[in-house]
Amino acid sequence: MREIIYNSSSPLADPRAFGQGVGDDVRAVLRVGRQLFVRNLRVQYRQSVLGYLWLLAPPLFLALTWTLLSKANLLQGKQPPVPLPLFVLTGIFLWQGFVEMLNSPLQQLTAVRATLAKVRVPHEAFVAAGMGVVVFNLLVRLLVLGSVMWWYNIDWHMTLLWVPLGLAGLLGLGLGLGWIIALLGLLYSDVANALGLIINMWFLVTPVVYVVPTRYASVLSLNPVTPLLTTTRNWLLTGQVEPTPSFWPVIGLAGAGVLLGWLAYRLAQPHLIARL
Amino acid sequence: MWYALRDILAEAWPRYRTRTARLRAHEFWGVQDMSFQLRRGEALAIVGANGAGKSTLLKLLNGLIKPDGGSIHIRGQVGALIELGVGLDPVLSGRENVFIRAALLGFSRAQVLPLFAQIEEFAGLGTALDMPVQFYSSGMVARLAYAVAVHLRPDILLVDEVLAVGDMEFQRKCVNHMLAYLATGGSVVLVSHNPYHVQAVCQRGVLLEKGRLTFAGTGLETLDRYYALQQQQLAERSAQSGGSAPLIIENLVFESVTAPTIITDGAVRVRLTYQAQTPHANVAWAFYIWTNDGLTCITGGVNLAPSHLLAGRHELSCTVARLPLTAGQYLVKVAIFELQSQQPLALLGWEDAPVPLVVQGELSLEKSFQSMIQQLVTLPIDWHN
Repeated sequence: MREIIYNSSSPLADPRAFGQGVGDDVRAVLRVGRQLFVRNLRVQYRQSVLGYLWLLAPPLFLALTWTLLSKANLLQGKQPPVPLPLFVLTGIFLWQGFVEMLNSPLQQLTAVRATLAKVRVPHEAFVAAGMGVVVFNLLVRLLVLGSVMWWYNIDWHMTLLWVPLGLAGLLGLGLGLGWIIALLGLLYSDVANALGLIINMWFLVTPVVYVVPTRYASVLSLNPVTPLLTTTRNWLLTGQVEPTPSFWPVIGLAGAGVLLGWLAYRLAQPHLIARL
Repeated sequence: MWYALRDILAEAWPRYRTRTARLRAHEFWGVQDMSFQLRRGEALAIVGANGAGKSTLLKLLNGLIKPDGGSIHIRGQVGALIELGVGLDPVLSGRENVFIRAALLGFSRAQVLPLFAQIEEFAGLGTALDMPVQFYSSGMVARLAYAVAVHLRPDILLVDEVLAVGDMEFQRKCVNHMLAYLATGGSVVLVSHNPYHVQAVCQRGVLLEKGRLTFAGTGLETLDRYYALQQQQLAERSAQSGGSAPLIIENLVFESVTAPTIITDGAVRVRLTYQAQTPHANVAWAFYIWTNDGLTCITGGVNLAPSHLLAGRHELSCTVARLPLTAGQYLVKVAIFELQSQQPLALLGWEDAPVPLVVQGELSLEKSFQSMIQQLVTLPIDWHN
């Protein structure tokens, strides 16, 4: 029978054991996360009359609002190469996926705060289950988007094959930031309060509902979501193969963010529980 | 506020953590200088007042939080029953929650399926198992959570004051289950102040005070020590407050009249010490003797003749000519109340620690029978043939 030793030393003091622990937990997290994901799907709209309609209603209303604002010439700028409603809807669906993933770890872990404080459970399983729901929601929205594309007679391009990479980048960036937000958010309630404000601001400086203006292109490209969102939208709608210049560095950043964010949360876990 | 961030950053810098842990401003040790061993088949009671460090100790044993110094060595899988409701999804049915909770404890659906019938039978929820958990009573939640946790067969079971929410039948079931679990080599760490649970399950006990282990002995010895400590603290608080309450019962003492110790069928004098700020007229007083588990009142006495309490510290007393209790340990609760309205003026042992009463027994065949069948009282009988 294996002996477990709890002491004050950092898990990084023995990197091999730490790595082994991470490896063991990955398997458990996937198994538990799958069951929790199914639970989340069942619970998500169990006490709701409109049910899964709530998955589509907010982004559809948001897209409609921005389309009307654009058509009323309240937003001046370049016109997109595809019908405006489709352009806006695609941007909002992709943005929504990123934001949901960004919020998901803190939301999931806050919802089970009492459990985390009292029961030894793999925290990552809750985050994995939340990821599952975000991916599920995004896929449902993409199906709707597909039918809207068909409605507007948009050609199906080979670049559609690259779309999963763009989506993975967007979700990965959201998750990497989400881990850090969860870590800080479980310690300080200010984080959750500020997050809503920051996301609203971020939405405005991201070309979700407008085409990147040439004048501000260099400034907007500093926003890591911009290359991921514009490239993925191009792959979906226009068939433009070439990604925007900073796409690949941001993909790398997203991958590193997921890994480092997760490891940071793992190291912080006992200190978070002590303060829950 | 920034300690958490500093601690987390220190985790990423392993050499920093090797320094000896010391307290920072506004911190205190939750658990300190504690050492004990628990082997297979043993049960340990952890007793202590609120804030003594019991829950922190369980969190450390469960690996939820890290010690700042020292180490904990555990062989085997730990299962914890710390707060039964947590981890259950109120919207899902009890049946669905069984699988979710088991998954959180590391068990797949396939591993739970063969155990499901046992879990269902132990929980005894009947058709309510298919009802959403949000409509369960706290007792039903306790049944479900306990049933899942124990049937997954952890090597070490941590139980934190959770049995109190279930009804008597369920508590008995749990105690019997724990005994069977111990017999098959499991280990139990039980946080409880219920003498019945401690007596039935735990051979050993430890008393915690302000994060330190101050006493180690048998389960019952530990409880006795805890109750004595509570009495002492109560008396100290009363003394410190200068008797700010209008009337308090300071102490209750049982003294044998005829023998050196209190024995079955012996005469006993009962002395109640009270402290009154003002005189009280038309009051009555009573004492009740309870089983050691605090669940059943065996007997007692009420003096309904109007008594007059003088201001200051005085005594009330009575004599029990023949104490009909068999050898064993009992708990006594006392009350002084207004005769007309029957409103209590002072209580001892009801919301705080009851007064322990030990009745000694001689070694005889009759006493052996009494002990064997857990007889509580004796009857004065003239046998005719």
